[in-house]
Amino acid sequence: MLEKKTLRRSHRRRGTFFLFISPWLVGFVLLTIFPLAFGFVISLTNYDGLNLFNLHFTGFKNYLTAIQDPNVQHTFNRTLIWTALNLPTWLILSLLLAVIANQKVKGIGVFRTLFYLPSVIPAVGLVWTWKILLEKNFGLLNAMLDIFRPGTAVGWLTDQAMYGVTAMAVWNGLGAGMIIFLAGLQGIPDELVDAAKVDGANSFRVFWNVVLPMLSPVIFFQLVLGLISAFQQLTIPWLATTSGSIGVPPRGIYLYMINVYQQIFGVGRFGYGMALLWILIFIIIVLTLLVFRTQRYWVYSETEGEG
Amino acid sequence: MKTMMSMQSSQVKKTESLNYLKRFLTYALLILISFILMIPIIWLLITSLKQDIEYLSFPITFLPATPQWGNFTQVFAPVYYFLKHAGMTVFLATVFATLTVFSSALCGYAFARYRDVKANPSLFGIIVAMLIVPSIVTMIPSFMIFAKVHLTGTYWPWVLWGLAGSPYHIFLFRQFFITFPKELEDAAEVDGCTPFGTFGRIFLPNAKAAIATSFILNFLWVWGDWLTPRIYLRADNTTLGVLVNTVFTNPQGQLLTTLTMAGIVIYTLPVVIIFFIGQRYILKGIVTSGLAGR
Repeated sequence: MLEKKTLRRSHRRRGTFFLFISPWLVGFVLLTIFPLAFGFVISLTNYDGLNLFNLHFTGFKNYLTAIQDPNVQHTFNRTLIWTALNLPTWLILSLLLAVIANQKVKGIGVFRTLFYLPSVIPAVGLVWTWKILLEKNFGLLNAMLDIFRPGTAVGWLTDQAMYGVTAMAVWNGLGAGMIIFLAGLQGIPDELVDAAKVDGANSFRVFWNVVLPMLSPVIFFQLVLGLISAFQQLTIPWLATTSGSIGVPPRGIYLYMINVYQQIFGVGRFGYGMALLWILIFIIIVLTLLVFRTQRYWVYSETEGEG
Repeated sequence: MKTMMSMQSSQVKKTESLNYLKRFLTYALLILISFILMIPIIWLLITSLKQDIEYLSFPITFLPATPQWGNFTQVFAPVYYFLKHAGMTVFLATVFATLTVFSSALCGYAFARYRDVKANPSLFGIIVAMLIVPSIVTMIPSFMIFAKVHLTGTYWPWVLWGLAGSPYHIFLFRQFFITFPKELEDAAEVDGCTPFGTFGRIFLPNAKAAIATSFILNFLWVWGDWLTPRIYLRADNTTLGVLVNTVFTNPQGQLLTTLTMAGIVIYTLPVVIIFFIGQRYILKGIVTSGLAGR
């Protein structure tokens, strides 16, 4: 009797659970799984947005074309350079900023707010703020450089766009990175740092041998997320290097996703674009797994052997 | 003077002045870094007060001869439809944020309080996995589907996305609701609350902080998003971010830079104000799930 009652109760609880998560579950199937599967099917066809009545399966032809396309290779290389430039710069600078924001002085809250402020600015605001700094002929940066080296006119958003866009993306990401590193720093017990100091370690040694290892899980986490977001970067480089609704970004910053966007919405090669998108998903998964594999060599975990 | 002091007090004085020096250097560093980080924002504000001819001058003019406050009224000129699109964006962001908060709270509640259900951990695993799946990956194929059912150019995709909740916010609410004591649930059940009543009348009213965090983040996401409205919406019902990026031109179609800057300032200002007011919630939200909202 009692058993039956608990069984009924657990059934009821199961029903309630599924009822409560049903909005997400239905949405997940219809708005995530279905589009992904649909995108994959499209990637196997010659769909160009108009030829629905002349549609036929082409197998993995789009994938083969993509792999052999020198344009795709170019965008992939550019994305690698973009990631290699952005990710370490962002990680190191936001960690440094967090260390500075972790100083225990009066009014530090005000400085933390100021440090975070660049991160709240939306993409369109960000790119315009930086366009007037980096503009070749009228920008502030070249005007400043001109004082030291007259005649400077570096195209920070044209031929040197890789550096110009990196600067704005890093500036935009610093605050968010800092906040997470700050939370990590504050999680390090004071006794540990004090003990190291008593043992005669200087500030640098304390940072290198105590703080950094304790922070490695946070660094790892930031690295994974940063990697994923660097590979799919589109909005900031696109907006920064085009003007108005016309034009495409210069070759130097022609990243992988920019090409995907252009293939689909510019040229209308939906099938091909979807294949490119699936290749990117595959690359991101492989890279993430690779980074996870390196975890045990450098990420500190308190319960040894669990990670 | 110094010779008159005892050895000890000079020692004290020395460490004291060393402390002063250290604190002075710390503040100097903090101020310097703040200033460097603020340069782009300061330059944006200055440029928004210039005439285009001053922006386009060589050599550079640092300050406008007379501040062009008129730029800020010009932004609202009827030809640009700035206010109309600002209103649309507020509407869209409010609808999306409200729906997302409600769905995510309900779902996060179920994941937090129904841990005895067998399917819970594996389904929650999907949520965690979805945290790192880039949204752009589903956005483009979704566009084709929405286009087929003629929902592009409308706000319906946002309604559906809102109804479905977001993994990030489900995660946020789950972490929040998991801290509540079990007794709260039991007491509600004894009092004859339905499961939904327990959620709606007991838990939700106690989740104001999480609701505020989630609402602000969702609102700011729609406000700041450029790509989704650029792809999904028409020029006449798009969000403010898409509008300010291209709208400020002269009749010949040339971009008016300083006017655009004024537009950017007005477009960004609400975000900064919301950040200052809701700072506590926003930063908590980012740290709780350890994810930067990008």
